[in-house]
Amino acid sequence: MKELLTDALLREFLLGKVDEEERERIEGLFLTDSQARERVLAAEQDLIEDYLEDSLTAADRDLFLARYGQTPAQQRQLRINKSIKNWALRETASTHVVPAKISALSHLRERLRLKSPFIIPIAITALIAIIVVAVWFSSRREQQNRHLAIEQELAQLNTPSSLREVPPQMAPLELSPVAIRSVEQETEFKKTADTRVVELRLPWIQKERYATYQAEVRRVGDDGSFTIPNLQAEGDGEPVIRVRLPAHMLHRGHYQIQLNGIASDGSMSLPEKYQFAVSG
Amino acid sequence: MVRDSAIPPESFDEILDWLDPDRDVAAEKYVQLRHDLAKLFMWGRCLDPEGMTDETFDRVAKKVHDVKPSYQGDPRLYFRAVANNLIKENFKKVKTQVSLDDVDLPERQTVVTTEETAGIEECLHSCLQKLDREKRKLILDYYAKEKQAKIDHRHELAQRLGISVETLRVRVFRIRASIEECIESCLKRKAQRK
Repeated sequence: MKELLTDALLREFLLGKVDEEERERIEGLFLTDSQARERVLAAEQDLIEDYLEDSLTAADRDLFLARYGQTPAQQRQLRINKSIKNWALRETASTHVVPAKISALSHLRERLRLKSPFIIPIAITALIAIIVVAVWFSSRREQQNRHLAIEQELAQLNTPSSLREVPPQMAPLELSPVAIRSVEQETEFKKTADTRVVELRLPWIQKERYATYQAEVRRVGDDGSFTIPNLQAEGDGEPVIRVRLPAHMLHRGHYQIQLNGIASDGSMSLPEKYQFAVSG
Repeated sequence: MVRDSAIPPESFDEILDWLDPDRDVAAEKYVQLRHDLAKLFMWGRCLDPEGMTDETFDRVAKKVHDVKPSYQGDPRLYFRAVANNLIKENFKKVKTQVSLDDVDLPERQTVVTTEETAGIEECLHSCLQKLDREKRKLILDYYAKEKQAKIDHRHELAQRLGISVETLRVRVFRIRASIEECIESCLKRKAQRK
């Protein structure tokens, strides 16, 4: 039975993609068999690592965040994992880059003594390349960290308990689906220094209702997007889904929101799209 | 989640006895079971895994006296069945959008702050100091590469150590779990000092 616990299957299980019978089998082994337990937890570590490296598909990332990024404790766990990984990468980079720099410098000195007209520019170019790579590496890591922090902040702002509170300096923004507001002007949000949080109110015009909803927020022209899973519809008539965004993540430009309903079996509805512009 | 009672001592003893006749082994199994049930609730997308684990033990405590004598098999599977019912109940609650006031949601905490990140970094540093040199080196080697490059790198590392990649992964998992546990305790201590 244990032999059937492949990495691929465990990943499907951890993302909630297996059927009830398989889930029962794996959970039973997880609780009663210490080896199976360690395999599941090791597979979970791999999954977390892939999330932190941004290697998951968009769909898997959403499923992941719905399980591992909801509560403050889970978010802290992710930050701890990220810290351990960053430490290892930092240490490795420093032990590899420093000797390379020293050796390049001593090499340069040696060549300077020989006064070769060709070696000096090559050595300088190599040094510049090393510095450029190091700067790029560090800025990329910084970007990843920023993205992760915003994603966690979004998850935190949009938990049911957070949504029941009304934080100070929050600006509401009513949006209509693009399909029905094509002739109207785009809704504009004027960002001020006082605004801390923007609450988007997204009416759900499709007939079908869903267990949860997820929103994907994207700034037009940017590569990345932010996903907010596990949103709930509110209201008896036409339901509205509220999404809160920290104002600091919004920059001048156009934003698009894609909203999907998620059925209890995990299937996704057709999307509703909304857009707005940020100015100020 | 609102629980109407704490576990009476006699039921708690009965649960321990059911998990294992040896009291020490039972205590270990109990601690691990709590941890593992919380995982099941997390995988079941419940927002309060710890609270639901408490609720599972409360429910088992109410039935243990009747169930224990006739139950066949590993008792932890009975806990799993109770937990599974709770997950379904929780899901139904969310799905039908019954008043959210009935659900005991974890208290809101502040968003990620640089202070918190600095706290984690500080604790990580202190926990790494306590770590055995060999283990520290292994973790460092294991996480030295990212994405595609890490796969080949880990194969090489496993070969160098003369173990399978699977064994390497579990070995690293254990070290990493101990670091995480150390960081969690360190963060708790820091919070208490404030």
